[in-house]
Amino acid sequence: MSEPAPTNPARTLPLPLIIGLGNDQRSDDRSGLEVARALRPLLAGKARVEECESEGIALLELWRGSDHVLVIDAVRSGAAPGTVHRLEPGDGFLPGFRSVTSTHGLSLAEAVALARGLGCLPRRLVVYGIEADDVRMGAELTPPVAHGVQEVTDRILAELEAEAAVGGSPDA
Amino acid sequence: MTERTIGIDYIARVEGEGALKVRIQNNHVEDVQLKIFEPPRFFEAFLRGRSYLEAPDITARICGICPVAYQMSSVHAMERALGMKVGGQIRELRRLLYCGEWIESHPLHIFLLHAPDFLGYPDAIHMAKDYPDAVKLGLALKKVGNSLMTLLGGREIHPINVRVGGFYRAPTVNELKAFRPQLVEAMKLAETTVHFTADLDFPNIEEDYEFVSLRHEREYPLCDGDLVSSKGIKVPQDRWDDVFEEVQAPYANALQSVRKGGGTSYLVGPLARYALNRDHLSPRADQLAREVGLENVVRNPYRSVVVRAVETVYAIEEALRIIDQYERPDPSWVEPPPVTKSVTGGAVSEAPRGILYHRYRIGPGGLIEDAKIVAPTSQNQKRIEDDVRHLVERSLALDDPALTNACERAIRNHDPCISCATHFLKLDIERR
Repeated sequence: MSEPAPTNPARTLPLPLIIGLGNDQRSDDRSGLEVARALRPLLAGKARVEECESEGIALLELWRGSDHVLVIDAVRSGAAPGTVHRLEPGDGFLPGFRSVTSTHGLSLAEAVALARGLGCLPRRLVVYGIEADDVRMGAELTPPVAHGVQEVTDRILAELEAEAAVGGSPDA
Repeated sequence: MTERTIGIDYIARVEGEGALKVRIQNNHVEDVQLKIFEPPRFFEAFLRGRSYLEAPDITARICGICPVAYQMSSVHAMERALGMKVGGQIRELRRLLYCGEWIESHPLHIFLLHAPDFLGYPDAIHMAKDYPDAVKLGLALKKVGNSLMTLLGGREIHPINVRVGGFYRAPTVNELKAFRPQLVEAMKLAETTVHFTADLDFPNIEEDYEFVSLRHEREYPLCDGDLVSSKGIKVPQDRWDDVFEEVQAPYANALQSVRKGGGTSYLVGPLARYALNRDHLSPRADQLAREVGLENVVRNPYRSVVVRAVETVYAIEEALRIIDQYERPDPSWVEPPPVTKSVTGGAVSEAPRGILYHRYRIGPGGLIEDAKIVAPTSQNQKRIEDDVRHLVERSLALDDPALTNACERAIRNHDPCISCATHFLKLDIERR
């Protein structure tokens, strides 16, 4: 008679969800999508990776049932192009976080506020913003923003690895 | 002499961003300018030299809210250019996909963008605190539309399953049948929505619109039918250029559409479709319109919110009809003929916000030589300016913040998707 398979509690936790937001046709506004594309092959089996080119309301549907969500979007706060911001909105707001080209019906900040109002915010939400420079029609990132994409990719990998090493998200 | 300027830097709760400038001199409205900063015809230029088969996927990316409209206008324009006739179940599937877009887009506008105006909230986020059930209802309906688009389009945003001639893959009968319960549930939500919208308080205003939409001999229009208006237009839909023209507004980077000859404005969208096709509503939609006392022609722009709700019921009822009669087409597309000479074709389809016109010239070998795309919002732009002018004339006693808010409402009545026609936009009211 074989032993029952040992259960690994870590395995039963839902995978973290990574969502890259943006508009593929608007130069630096695609930075969130580029991070998602870079992370997908590197995180196979370790995280779910989604790209979202829709308006912010789609986020409420995308992250339904997810406990730990990381969202990457382009942002304009006045900092130098390519600057990376990392925020955990928790109960607070996302100051100045407005979608760059606003083809999303709601911005990321508005979607977070709406989700909070409706009680459907993920328990743990991390937002990475990459300061945009050029958001005109175009399919190329500006060099500082391409650098920001690499930085966010590396930081998310490190963040998830560190949390896996301690057996899940720190406040689990 | 007093001069008053009112400006809104960007119009909240409008897809994309926009600007309006109103100049008032001695209590007389001198000028109203809805500014649209369009990426100058980026997509039209981008399409030139590409294969005509790529147009549906490329143009679908113009708008994250109504990609199906772009796909449908482009495939029908290409098929008309190539002399193709696509009917039967492929035609039904196209209508089904389009219903998904209406079910997704109308509730988004009704609950998340338009309802806060009537209930006195700055936005849906504040409204959600007092009306969480209404906002959740809107999100639930929108989700059903998104799911239907995903089922047929391959994915909900920028669907990829549509091609000239039909679909890369047609769904099975069982796949569509399995979707039926979601639509049945959505119907209940949509019925509630009709009553919710009809119970809102409406300013008592009527405008003398020239309504423009498609009209088909036996169905509420999506892709087929003639181009008609409430003031006498009736032409085949590929003759858009015979009756309308685009003129450059001096203050905007975008083109405005007007009636050819007179240069007057016209209105596209739910009010126009409904006024010109009221007799083709499905039974339940018809019954609900009667129940809430919706007249056969609605000229009050604020009441467009009720018409959108009735059209949502129509889209769900039509989707159920299509699913119930469905047989899987095999093959799932009609093979286009080789392109041996230069050919031109145009088509109009009914985006949630109104008619979307595409016209293409394809050269021998199948490369696009010329493309023209006229979005519903650029067709409504001049008409929205007229609405705002009338509003300001009626409301000069309001202070600037109140007048600014009223102007924003007047614009939102028509659910403009400024990102389709344009990019950033701002608003100014000037009183002298």
